[in-house]
Amino acid sequence: MDGFFKWSSKWWPGVIPLIVLWAFAAWTSTAPLEADLADRSAAALHGAVLDKTTIAVAGRDVTLGAEAFSEAARSAAVGAVDAVPGVRLVNDETRLAAEARPFVWSAERDVVRVTLAGSAPLPASKAKLAEAARGALGGVEVSDQMKLARGAPAHFDEAAVLLLGQIAKLKDGKFTISDSSVSLSGMARELGDREAIAAALKKLPEGFKIAANDLKAPPYVFQVNKDPVASTLTLSGNVPDEAVHAAITAAAARKFLSEKVVDNLKASIGAPGGFAAAVVPALGALSRLSTGTLVVSDREVRLSGDALYDAAALQIRSGLGKEFPQNWQFKADVSVKPAVAPVDATVCQQLFSELLGKASIRFEAGKADLDPDSTGLLDRLVEIALRCPASNIEVAGHTDTDGDDEINQALSEKRAQAVVDYLVKAGLPAVRFTATGFGATQPLVPNDSEEGKAQNRRIEFKVM
Amino acid sequence: MAYLVTFHWGWLLGALLLGFGMGWIAVVHRGPGVSRVLAGWLGLLAAALLVVALVHIVPGRPGYWLELALLMLGPYVAGCAVGSLLRAWVVRRSVAMRTG
Repeated sequence: MDGFFKWSSKWWPGVIPLIVLWAFAAWTSTAPLEADLADRSAAALHGAVLDKTTIAVAGRDVTLGAEAFSEAARSAAVGAVDAVPGVRLVNDETRLAAEARPFVWSAERDVVRVTLAGSAPLPASKAKLAEAARGALGGVEVSDQMKLARGAPAHFDEAAVLLLGQIAKLKDGKFTISDSSVSLSGMARELGDREAIAAALKKLPEGFKIAANDLKAPPYVFQVNKDPVASTLTLSGNVPDEAVHAAITAAAARKFLSEKVVDNLKASIGAPGGFAAAVVPALGALSRLSTGTLVVSDREVRLSGDALYDAAALQIRSGLGKEFPQNWQFKADVSVKPAVAPVDATVCQQLFSELLGKASIRFEAGKADLDPDSTGLLDRLVEIALRCPASNIEVAGHTDTDGDDEINQALSEKRAQAVVDYLVKAGLPAVRFTATGFGATQPLVPNDSEEGKAQNRRIEFKVM
Repeated sequence: MAYLVTFHWGWLLGALLLGFGMGWIAVVHRGPGVSRVLAGWLGLLAAALLVVALVHIVPGRPGYWLELALLMLGPYVAGCAVGSLLRAWVVRRSVAMRTG
């Protein structure tokens, strides 16, 4: 034992190369050791639900910084790093993620992108929401500006995913969840989308409520264009349903003489109240124009074009607005078509006969009141009468054989007079016109069928 | 500990061989040795450093370097002991053979 102590007293010179060896070891191994421990620590945290994780290693000491979403998750993360073999101690710089009060999340849509902003409860739900937005809008850029925070209401993810599922129906606008209140603003993409969104939101998870729904529907547009060159009447835009659709096309067929009706209408919900009651008289006004366009946008009716003569323009401008339901607005931009060159009496007669061959002036059944559907035809008759100012014209009324002769005679006279009154009101001198009634005495065709009778009920214009 | 040994086995082996060589020489070395008092103090210093390392009061890299130094000192001393004992045994055997 004494010998062993004697030898060990001479071991010290080896300490000098040992120190050199140690210095080399420290010099070369520190960085690889730290890198190895950083990798192992990161691997230990794989799958942990953390935000803003930082791992810094000095020697064998790990400084862990992170935001956790629960106290349990926070201590579990620290424990996991502490348990990594080789880690001496963990400097715990973790904390709980801030709690958002109120917890606000929003999805905003504009022309080119969807911006997700506000707070998301967990990294997984943040990714899920961004994915849902991309899924709902193929090809639209999704800008994810969500931050992570605690304090989300229960079922937040479900509610947000439900809203994102509706974002394709938005033209522009914003969906917001603030705690458990949902608010919507902006403009729906198509007619009916606003209602579809409202219906979908009925499935919001329990506890959520709609605080404000300020979504606007796109304007409800109905348009008619009258083109005298192509002789077409083009109907386009929206109608509330098939019944109104049929009523409008039937009215167009009655009010317009020879124009071909091109029907591009489609049924859409969201029509303003009184749609049909406004559109039918507006069509009547359009029928009085030589060329023109009728645009109905929500509750605003705009009519533009050329009337056939001055008085017609005045009547359209002042008269039409009165026929509309309440809250409807009417804007007329009606000018007067330049006067056509005068013609002689023969041509005038020919023009009258041609026009009345295509359509008849109509009256209310058994009465001498002019049917409003015939206004367009009457305006064209006025236009022709204006072209032969020197000629006098006999307006002759005829009836069919139905009913009493005396009554028919009186009716034919009254109807002829009603037409003359219209012409005079249009600004033509009363002295040029004579109203005559012939009753059923001059049938064009035998009165043995309904068609024949209809042909015999007529007004004729004779240029003297 | 296991991690450090695995990670630094090469350096530890070096320390062990160095110690073995030093122990081998020490038996026949004629130079001055360390006095008992100084040896006591050196032992005390080593123990103190060991305590400092175990309670983790030296932070970060210096703490690691201290651990590494103590870790390498172990195989060195063990190598010295084995070297000395082996050399003593060899010397004793050759003396016995010569005198025998």
